[in-house]
Amino acid sequence: MLGEFEYVLITAAAGLGENAYGAAIREEIESTTARRCSIGALYTTIDRLEAKGLLKTWMGELTRQRGGRAKRMVRVTAKGVQAAKEFYDAVVRVSHGASWVESRTGSMS
Amino acid sequence: MNGTGWPLVEIASKLLQGDERDAVLGDLLEANETALQSLLDVCGLVLRRQTGLFRDRRPWLAGFGVALPCGYLLMYVSISVSCTYARLLYPNARILACRPQGHEGFLLLLCHILLLVAWSWTGGYILGSVSRLTLWASAALSVLPAFLCMRHLPAGFPRACLFLFLLPATLGGRHALRNVRVTVGLSSVLAISVTVLMIFAWTSNALWIFNWVLMCPAWYLVAMARRSGHAGRMGSWPLGRATYSRAS
Repeated sequence: MLGEFEYVLITAAAGLGENAYGAAIREEIESTTARRCSIGALYTTIDRLEAKGLLKTWMGELTRQRGGRAKRMVRVTAKGVQAAKEFYDAVVRVSHGASWVESRTGSMS
Repeated sequence: MNGTGWPLVEIASKLLQGDERDAVLGDLLEANETALQSLLDVCGLVLRRQTGLFRDRRPWLAGFGVALPCGYLLMYVSISVSCTYARLLYPNARILACRPQGHEGFLLLLCHILLLVAWSWTGGYILGSVSRLTLWASAALSVLPAFLCMRHLPAGFPRACLFLFLLPATLGGRHALRNVRVTVGLSSVLAISVTVLMIFAWTSNALWIFNWVLMCPAWYLVAMARRSGHAGRMGSWPLGRATYSRAS
């Protein structure tokens, strides 16, 4: 099963679609989680997920905006989508009835 | 991006592999991070990468199984060559007092020098091939014995004599990093030549018994060249590392 950060990364990459690359994924994670995402954590996790076959990466074109440096593009594989879905389902199941879940009816004591 | 600190970031990023360095520096430029934050980010990634490398057994094997013992033995060979050279050419020099009292004669000295160069080069080449990304650690371990022995040198003994092995070893490592091919034939000739020279020196009581250990890299080179088939280039490490392809 995926780890929390792995799930966040896959979800961010999937949401960005064709525009998923290091800086964009990092910005997406930071804006949605309101937590800093270090380059080290990002790239080591991308490598780990790629080794598991959940992501595919390749070097993109050189861009002037980045000082003529290439982007490391990321695409979520079908296996990655499945792993993310399993993680999400597990979180939903385990959260069922938890006091902080909005749909729960009843009092919080 | 603060221009004054950026060169430091670029220097630190040299410890990353080419494609990853490009991607990381580009990301930092795009995010318009401060130089300090960029430096911390790059150092953090380098630290994670290096830590990851040492989870494998090869850097440990290369460092403590090859670099450290070979560095220790080669340091003594360097001292022996220096002493013999000094005794032969400068009989009245103060260096006469130094130990070990090695072999005598120009032929044996030549043999000894050739062995020192060959052992050092093959050792450096093997280290560069087996643990190319952690070569800095192996290099540090190989010179550690020499640095520890510096304080015990007799007065007047040039300290540089401890490091005679360093130049050929560095060349060997450099050749490995540049993927210089060593064919089966060439490695075999090298290993056989070194063995013949060793036997010659050994039968003349010119070398220590532990110097036989230094034969291992030369024969390991032959074994690896044979295994890899057409060339002596070792498989780069880590083997399982993700590779990227540049989009056309």
